Amino acid sequence: MSRNVSGQAYALTVLTPIVDGHAPELTAHLDALPEGDDSPLARVGRTHLARWVVIDHVKYQGHGQRHRDHLPPRLLFTSNLDGDLDSYLEALRTALGEDADAVWGHCVGYPGHRDAAGFARWLKAHEIEAALFFAAYGARTVDRVHADLAKRARLIEFALEAQGLEPAALKARFLERF
Amino acid sequence: MANVEGRATAITVLTPYKWTGRLLLPVVFWVGRHATWTLKKLQMLSFIHYARWVIVKRFPPGERLKYEYLLFESNFNGSWDQYIDAFSEVVPQRMIGIWGTSYGFPGPIPVEPFKDYIRANEYVANHYWNAYPGATTTEIISAERVAAAVDDLRARAESLEPSAFKAAYEDMLTSIQRDL
Repeated sequence: MSRNVSGQAYALTVLTPIVDGHAPELTAHLDALPEGDDSPLARVGRTHLARWVVIDHVKYQGHGQRHRDHLPPRLLFTSNLDGDLDSYLEALRTALGEDADAVWGHCVGYPGHRDAAGFARWLKAHEIEAALFFAAYGARTVDRVHADLAKRARLIEFALEAQGLEPAALKARFLERF
Repeated sequence: MANVEGRATAITVLTPYKWTGRLLLPVVFWVGRHATWTLKKLQMLSFIHYARWVIVKRFPPGERLKYEYLLFESNFNGSWDQYIDAFSEVVPQRMIGIWGTSYGFPGPIPVEPFKDYIRANEYVANHYWNAYPGATTTEIISAERVAAAVDDLRARAESLEPSAFKAAYEDMLTSIQRDL
């Protein structure tokens, strides 16, 4: 099994080189993206948690590190997603559309979202496999997590309002509600 | 900049390691993947949604730096300080196994130098998405148990007499009371 997989969850890690001089503009764009339900990533339904991070340098530690490394800026994209990678990348492409271009268009060699095969190929070419992936509820899809949370909330509400009901009424109300 | 989305917090850390890490880290992570106690220990840290470690030998599409790097990302609920405290207290040996070959790693105990190390090597997310911002990891896992119990009772309900249903309903509530 792939080291990126835990249950049905997949850990996608993509590091793409940013075009020379574009890091500030990309950073400003990402920082200004709407958050919450208005985030472009909200449209990619199989995404549990995801992030974009501009890594504009690597840090020198001292403590015996003899050389300083210089990393041309990279864009890190990670996603904790449902199911298989190929269909997810296609969902990412179609759901993000122009928003994908506005982000990865600042990266070297990005083919654009209109090139379906190129889009997936380019992201996969910049993917790095996880060494260890932990998922607390890797068997649960995003939809299932939402459904379970809603059912729990419904039961709490039901338990409060059903207090004191006679058995027949309790059963009827439960069947109606669930 | 957004390391917080709803009740989830993002942490992203990238650190260079010594040549000894090239030998040890593949073994450490192999053990992590194959010995269930490692993942069980992480499960004890019940506030982690998802976490990963990635060995970066080359930066795609193939750039090799003077050092190899260890990338760590986590999605958790609670405060940053509580998170690092818990790592330091609950899984210190595993922290040594993972970061012990990294330049500048001070060890997980005492916790303040460890926090300084993580802070110094952390990158703030420029955009962070969380599909269920109102829920903690514990609530999601509790909801899974509650939903299973409700579904089980729903499957049996129609065949139960009202009094037997009431008893089964009360048994169900008792069995999942910690999850409500």
